[in-house]
Amino acid sequence: MALIEEQTEILSARRMAWLRFRANPVAVIGALMVISVIVMAIFAPVIARFPDHVGAVIDFRNKHHAPDATYWFGADKVGRDIFTRVIFGFRVSLLLVVGVLIVAVPVGGALGLVAGYFSGRIEALITGFTNVMLAIPPLVMALAVGNVLNPNLVTAMFAITLLWWTWHARLVYRVSKSVAAEDYIEAARLAGASHWHILTREILPNCISVISVKTTLDAAFIILFGATLSFLGLGVRPPTPDLGTMVADGRQFLPEMWWGVLFPGLAIFYATLGFNLLGDGLRDMFDVEV
Amino acid sequence: MALLDIRNLNLSFTSYGRTQQALRDVSLTIEEGQRVALIGETGSGKSVTSKAVLNTLPGNARVDSGQILWRGEDLLKKTTGQREALKGIEMSVVMQDPLSSFNPVFTIGRHLDDVLYWADCRAGRPTGRKDRAGRIAEILRKVQLADPARVVAAYPAELSGGMRQRVLIALALMNRPALLISDEPGTALDVTTQDEILRLINKLVIDEGLTHLMITHNLGVVRATADDVYVMNKGEIVESGPLRRLFEAPKTAYARDLVDAIPPLYGPGVKDQKVSDGAPLVELKAVTKTFRRKRLLRPDEATQAVRGVDLNIARGEIFGLAGESGSGKTTLARMVMGIMQPSEGRVFIDGRPLSDTGGRADRRLAQIVYQNPGTSLNPKRTVGQTLDVPLRFAGLDPKDRQRRTDELLERVDLPRSFVARFPHELSGGQKQRVAIARALAADPRLIVLDEPTSALDVSVQKRVIALLEELRYELGLTYLFISHDLSLMRNFCSRISVMFKGEMVEQGRPSEVFANPAHPYTRALIAAIPVVTDAEEAMKPKVTPEEKQRFLVSSAA
Repeated sequence: MALIEEQTEILSARRMAWLRFRANPVAVIGALMVISVIVMAIFAPVIARFPDHVGAVIDFRNKHHAPDATYWFGADKVGRDIFTRVIFGFRVSLLLVVGVLIVAVPVGGALGLVAGYFSGRIEALITGFTNVMLAIPPLVMALAVGNVLNPNLVTAMFAITLLWWTWHARLVYRVSKSVAAEDYIEAARLAGASHWHILTREILPNCISVISVKTTLDAAFIILFGATLSFLGLGVRPPTPDLGTMVADGRQFLPEMWWGVLFPGLAIFYATLGFNLLGDGLRDMFDVEV
Repeated sequence: MALLDIRNLNLSFTSYGRTQQALRDVSLTIEEGQRVALIGETGSGKSVTSKAVLNTLPGNARVDSGQILWRGEDLLKKTTGQREALKGIEMSVVMQDPLSSFNPVFTIGRHLDDVLYWADCRAGRPTGRKDRAGRIAEILRKVQLADPARVVAAYPAELSGGMRQRVLIALALMNRPALLISDEPGTALDVTTQDEILRLINKLVIDEGLTHLMITHNLGVVRATADDVYVMNKGEIVESGPLRRLFEAPKTAYARDLVDAIPPLYGPGVKDQKVSDGAPLVELKAVTKTFRRKRLLRPDEATQAVRGVDLNIARGEIFGLAGESGSGKTTLARMVMGIMQPSEGRVFIDGRPLSDTGGRADRRLAQIVYQNPGTSLNPKRTVGQTLDVPLRFAGLDPKDRQRRTDELLERVDLPRSFVARFPHELSGGQKQRVAIARALAADPRLIVLDEPTSALDVSVQKRVIALLEELRYELGLTYLFISHDLSLMRNFCSRISVMFKGEMVEQGRPSEVFANPAHPYTRALIAAIPVVTDAEEAMKPKVTPEEKQRFLVSSAA
């Protein structure tokens, strides 16, 4: 008596999610903005008009050159093309984002996963430690690390990572805890499945959507945070182009040479906004709360 | 002129650029004072029909053609304002879920007062708070809530499910509507409470002279509350007629299947399962489970979920465990599974105490099928991956696993292609089949069935039960079947026991228990089951109101 019960056409989960994403113009715009930033960062040497201006070039004839057809965003105090340096600045920002998230997401995720699944002492230990770390203001931590160690890109990355994993631990802990109480986890355990199997194959896939939304939104925060650090002189060392450092440098010549601050600032704004819109779009698409 | 006359209503839903027709040429007539029922299975369009009448359709719904005539006027041609004015005054609805219909931060009194206030405003005669309070007390007494002052001051979470359902009925009746629509009232409640709610609705409909439209999937409920019946299937009315004619001689095959799928409680159609004389597989000796909640500086709070239960389940038996929510049946099953340890007493599996084997029953011994098909399968894993888990951890190599997965799918009558499907691509019945296959994969001797069909439509339930019977016959399985559906248990179990407040009050063969229930609680429980025929109704045990009072938690308090 083979039977296939009546059913209407069912869309696959992926297709459904894509339709939801596509129907949201804001999300699509965000995705395009993020893609454009990544493309600019990768192909910076090709796009930039003066690729050599990335380094310690001095061209006093063009110092504080106003924006025109050659210098789209104008030139800085030593005559370097700001457009070139903004494009290369994206590289540094994205490098920071990747560097932080590549460590913070797996570490935070793993801790949250374990804490949510095992109850009792392990849970109390991990959540307790996470809460303590959450209590430290990130900027204070970064300033401390930056002052003890040599301020550079790696130090900044290290300082941010030291605290960033906590948010992921919190988030994944919450999802893991609720998934662990589901019938299908008990069923897997009754079927003899190992803890490793349950953690990685049963619970983790249910956390992927929240992790990816959070990671996208994180990218925006980290770009902003990195810019803040270098603005305070704790980030990248000159002459490497960095958006935060450029804003800090241009500040001295306001308001006459406004382009020195405006364009790097707009670049930070553009990248941050792009990641935020994309993150919001993904959140609607996966229908999760972060 | 009919009160409500729906003529050839066509309605469709559009989502993400796809349009699906939900109603096809639905025609339905309700005369003033008539009691009509609209029955059908999940997704048949019965709730959509009522929403079209009430104008509470979601935004992506569109009426393609047809008319909804209310006292001869087409509602679809009226403005939104005019239709709003009918809501709650001319027509009211009693919703299915008594808890989610209330806002938890407001008292019951506030809910009732708000509805009354706005209705008065719309009617153009604002009233004072005191006047409204008087009317609220009066209406609460009408739905047999004995202590209106207490109910008015209570928050929704402080009331029992039955009481909340009564308050919902009170809300619907507040402005003496001409038409009362009941959308599956009492479905989420225990049978005895449901029975009381249905009696109440019936009484109110007759006393107040209301016109009643009952929407339900339960044919027993229909028999108790309607005179005329419309049967819906896939957005179409397939058959309609007077209740008795439709139940006794359904004309269409669909209606016939629907009526036949109801397990009979009494009469010639009842099936007796063979009693097994095998050696006991599970033995419970004076098992008690106490849950303790530690409290600071105060004595611990202890709740006894199971009290001194003795139980034998023989090999090859289908042992039914009946009882209402909170009676301790799931706790008992979890102790048999070894997921939970008894506080006192011992559990023996196959003659060996469970505590010897580290507490947990061997997976080759006992497996479980859960009640809710929605949560028993991991949404992120395909059917194949789900079935693979028990096989892999039993140490089978990939080739054998593949073969066994195919075999298991065939056993539960699902096509092989289903290995690549995700749970959301399956219907409820198919999900339960996969859950059964997963339980079988570990090759157990005992399967605990925790209300495996309570979330399914009757026709699907019938097929799943048939599958379970077949599997038990072919594989020599023993079942521990937990349910509150006594009519299903009458036909499916070889022995049943009834639990009441953690104690086992009755045990025996179904034919004996149903013919001569010894304990008054069992009698009350059986008497509350909605049945389909008058003959069955007459054979149910009679319960005096005093007896009922003693054993049933009254929702009227």
